[in-house]
Amino acid sequence: MTIIRPRLIDYHNILVTQEEVDFAIPFLDEDIPLYLDPFLLWKSPSQQDNALHLILINTFNKLGKIYLQSEDKKEKLVDVLVELSECSEVGLGSGKTKKGLKISTKTSNEILELFSIIPEYKTTGVSHFEEIQLYVNNISKDRISDFSCNFLKSFLIDFTQDECKKYNIPMKIFKDVRVFNSNTCKIEDEELLLPFNPEGSIPIIFVPKRWLRYTPWINYEDYFQKAYIKEGQEEKIDKPKVLDYNRYNYGMISAYISAKERNQEDCKNDPLFKQIPVISAKKCLNQILKLPSGKTDNADKKYEDNCTKLFSSLLYPHLDFAQAQSRVDSGTQIRDLIFYNNCSFPLLKNLYDEYNCRQIVFEMKNVKEVRRDHINQLNRYLSEQFGRFGIIITRNPFKKNIMRNTIDLWSGQRKCILCITDEDMKLMVDVYENKQRDPIEVINKKYVEFIRSCPA
Amino acid sequence: MKKENIEKFEKLHIQIKDIYQELSLLSKKSPDGAINKFKLKFINQLIDESNTLLGERYKPFRDFEKFQEDDMPFNSDVVLIVSQYIECLEKYKYDNIRRILSTWYWIISDSEDKIETSSPKLEFLR
Repeated sequence: MTIIRPRLIDYHNILVTQEEVDFAIPFLDEDIPLYLDPFLLWKSPSQQDNALHLILINTFNKLGKIYLQSEDKKEKLVDVLVELSECSEVGLGSGKTKKGLKISTKTSNEILELFSIIPEYKTTGVSHFEEIQLYVNNISKDRISDFSCNFLKSFLIDFTQDECKKYNIPMKIFKDVRVFNSNTCKIEDEELLLPFNPEGSIPIIFVPKRWLRYTPWINYEDYFQKAYIKEGQEEKIDKPKVLDYNRYNYGMISAYISAKERNQEDCKNDPLFKQIPVISAKKCLNQILKLPSGKTDNADKKYEDNCTKLFSSLLYPHLDFAQAQSRVDSGTQIRDLIFYNNCSFPLLKNLYDEYNCRQIVFEMKNVKEVRRDHINQLNRYLSEQFGRFGIIITRNPFKKNIMRNTIDLWSGQRKCILCITDEDMKLMVDVYENKQRDPIEVINKKYVEFIRSCPA
Repeated sequence: MKKENIEKFEKLHIQIKDIYQELSLLSKKSPDGAINKFKLKFINQLIDESNTLLGERYKPFRDFEKFQEDDMPFNSDVVLIVSQYIECLEKYKYDNIRRILSTWYWIISDSEDKIETSSPKLEFLR
């Protein structure tokens, strides 16, 4: 069964939504577009998170201290840092593939050299690991995230195992998981029980979603804009020059870090999915209602774009949005919205059990009147992960003959095709605004109405 | 009218009129707004009690028993139905009371007691 944009839990048929779990649910063939931000651990009200931040900092400072003290270990430490620069098991970042590249030994060397260049680091060490972005080229959010994950890997492994037990996510033994040992400052092979990516049997490590942000709170761009440069002069200064300046002017960095610490209240983790505000939902709806049916002035494209924005928010958190996709059926371009069905609402459980529907497909049709061939297009698509249930989002209710057609489909093949019209969308946005009911209940209402019209 | 039903009726009558007023306000603000499950649960309770009291003879609609949660009724739908129930309760009352001098009393089938009540709706008196 091919699942569109598969996630680990969908592959194993585990019925939880992203909202319910504490970790970011990993995708099987792409990365989660977020990064671990160590600052979130530092500012967290949880003592455990604060302690983990301390471990992260102390470990890095320990590497620096050894680097300064023993000449013969320098080369090994550089290699260790190179290996710690990529943590493919957590699958964070913007990569379309799960494998990333490590930093060069030159960059690794530059990082460790900071301990000899900057007097404050030599004596007291760094206070925020993210600071290294402000001194070394080619170090950005993805590296900070990967380094942090590697330094905290031991904790993340325990966390992953606990979550797997909680949700019955299958695990298997991996004999050579590379884990950094902060006592010996070496990376060792460990035999561990971990969940896995079925495509290639690669181990997976979960990351708490409360630690994730799109960009770290402390980052080079922010420093450059807010602390370093006057407005209008941004393009006159090269990054290497700024990094070089920073190395010899720790006061600038220190002031910037203090300012960021003072504004810690504004630093929040980024959710994996953010619903659009009510005002935007109403705007989307109004744009849809104003659009003519058909393709004049790209109306179909605008209709589909607005529907995508609207539905992914309206149906959250009951349905996690997988993706909008285009497909071609008999020479016709069709755009669908695909949602994961995690049975988080009685109707969804019913669809899962009765129609074998693991992902829900919404086909968008900006037409005045849905025709028989439109129904057939969706009908042909209803197989595998979609089971026997689908929804057509269109402008007007089905005409009598089309309604008859869908009832016949149900009677003959137990396939259910519902229609969501402009009026239904209005109701969905209305309940999204006034919170009296849940927008997904409108789909439930349509389903109940449909079943009532079917022969007993 | 049985004596035991008098108290039930008086309570139900007050509650349903009160809920009608609240819903009318909601309905004026957004007639096409969906009513929430919490309100619907209590409206259905009142409708249930009314159905029992009114019986087939006074019930406003033969094939309406109560609102279905899944149908997501609009505020205006609920106001329409509740107003019909109020009218039928008024009629039921009018048929079960009588005036002695200027005071209205319940006609009680299983007791000799005299229980006063308020006057019926003006329309019934014309």
